[in-house]
Amino acid sequence: MSSPLFERTVTALMQEQVICEISDEELYNYLMMPDSQEAVNRFLGQINRTLRLTSAQDAFVCAYLDISRPETKEAVRQQFKEVANHLEALVHFLRLVMTLESGDRPVQPGDKVSEGNLLDRITAAPALEAKLRSLVEKKIFQTKRSDAAGQLRSVLGSLEKMGYLKSIGNSGSVYRATGRWSWLYDVMTFIQAHEGIAQDEESGPEQLRLG
Amino acid sequence: MARVQDAKSTLQALARFGGEILEAHLRHGNRLAETDENHNMLQTLEHHRLVWRIGDAEDLQLKKVLVQFLDHITETERRRYANAQVSQLWQKLADLFGDYKAAKKRSAFGDIDRLEGEIKECLAEVIEDIRNATEAFGSYINTGFAYVTDAELRIRENKRVIEQADKLIQLFESFKLSELAEQAGSDAFLKRLLLRYLPATLESSQKDLSYSLNQLRKMLVRFRENQRLSKLVGAFEVHYINHPGFEPTIEHIDFARLPEAFNTVSPFTIRGFGDIYDPVDELAIIDLAANARTVGNSSEPEQTIETAVSVNFDVAGEVEIEDSDPVEEAIVELLQLVVDGALGEQAILASDALKSTGLAVERADWLQALAAEIEVLSDNDRECIEVIFHDTPDPVYCDNLSVYDIALRHHYAQ
Repeated sequence: MSSPLFERTVTALMQEQVICEISDEELYNYLMMPDSQEAVNRFLGQINRTLRLTSAQDAFVCAYLDISRPETKEAVRQQFKEVANHLEALVHFLRLVMTLESGDRPVQPGDKVSEGNLLDRITAAPALEAKLRSLVEKKIFQTKRSDAAGQLRSVLGSLEKMGYLKSIGNSGSVYRATGRWSWLYDVMTFIQAHEGIAQDEESGPEQLRLG
Repeated sequence: MARVQDAKSTLQALARFGGEILEAHLRHGNRLAETDENHNMLQTLEHHRLVWRIGDAEDLQLKKVLVQFLDHITETERRRYANAQVSQLWQKLADLFGDYKAAKKRSAFGDIDRLEGEIKECLAEVIEDIRNATEAFGSYINTGFAYVTDAELRIRENKRVIEQADKLIQLFESFKLSELAEQAGSDAFLKRLLLRYLPATLESSQKDLSYSLNQLRKMLVRFRENQRLSKLVGAFEVHYINHPGFEPTIEHIDFARLPEAFNTVSPFTIRGFGDIYDPVDELAIIDLAANARTVGNSSEPEQTIETAVSVNFDVAGEVEIEDSDPVEEAIVELLQLVVDGALGEQAILASDALKSTGLAVERADWLQALAAEIEVLSDNDRECIEVIFHDTPDPVYCDNLSVYDIALRHHYAQ
């Protein structure tokens, strides 16, 4: 007997979606039940795949069990290239939001991102407007809009399309961060370790930010 | 006298801005934000030397003397050091019981009375301080250490509070209530305090404290993770600045040890065939198939266009040019002559016109065609023609008239 939730969950996982409380609460709750997890894993295991949790334990992804086959390696390589190409833009976005929110931590799953609040702060400081302009020069955030409101809307819209944000309410200008950020931080942690990106390099941006 | 006046004025300022000062003390780490709304208050407090700051860019801070006073009146101090306070009181209680025992041995009734009173007071204080100490941790959880702005300092403050809570738990565990209870003697009030109120307070406080400790530890983990992620983003930011065009690669990585974060599947669609072999689904599939046909027809607009083009071609090839009708042409020409007034005021008979055309048409058909053509003339043209019917009555039904000719004449407007 098939189960609609099982089918939806497996399909979402196979479509490279990151399932978290924000992106799809129903599927997330389904996966939080041990029996469901086991059923999904049993199915995925038969097609060389498995269910994984991000290290923050807040989002599920589907991973290959065995990546020794050439086509699997190629798929992984392609995904990595995609992340590598977008990473600089995403880092700049995270820094921009941290500066705007005066926070000591980057965006995390569940955080509310309000276009109006961000725009108010950006338009109040020309330096921040310049940062937004440089952000929309990055490939994934590129837009023809020249005003801050249009640029910010484009950036948030792109992040929504990529699954990093989910629109809430009817206005279309308030979002919640999804578990994809947790996955990205895991990727960044790995890159940091393997590319030898020093942790103490952090002192640099502190000084830049103060300036 | 002036000094007394100044002091009074300071106290009045404290009373006037009491709410804001308490808010700053309890929720904002003794800082007062410099806003337009606070402008008057800050000026007054600066005048009375109750605030200080290092640079213009910094927020104003309440002075130490005022903070100590606020600590006292809000019992913050007492709560902060309730841990040590409870320990001291507990020691004092143990000493008092020792003295009480000795006084009883010597039957020193005056001392017994005095010690009983002191023990009761001390016990009441212990119970109060235990409650205070526990509540203090709850307030740390509620604020989330938001009054500490720096991430590293917040972590240190959190750790310090966890250590305090740990010590308090150890202290509670060291209390030997059964031993104390034995020393209560026959005093009913003392027994009630030692056997009922103190154990109940300790039990609920330990429960609250355990919960607080758990929450504080979770908070510490969260703070550390936030700090790690913040450093991670910062490290990448600087790396991109220092190494323009940097692009991470995984070419040199051993795929056998690839972390899970990278090992996510590429998407593909899961599809299947409709189960035509299971009769249970037969009706549903028939319905789907029927719809599919409809969809198929309507979803091929391009083919329809191609068909239409070829049909158009065929139609164009089969166009038949009809021969013009000489009778109709002659009538149109005749009427045009009359309409244009080419005949002047003269009338022309239809029978004469027929003769002049040389057409082999029956007079009746000619007259009928002429009458029909006159009917379909436009209103303007019709007004230009005067039509006179030449007729004879029927010999039998005299009301019926037989038209044998029609005279046409241009009609000039009056």
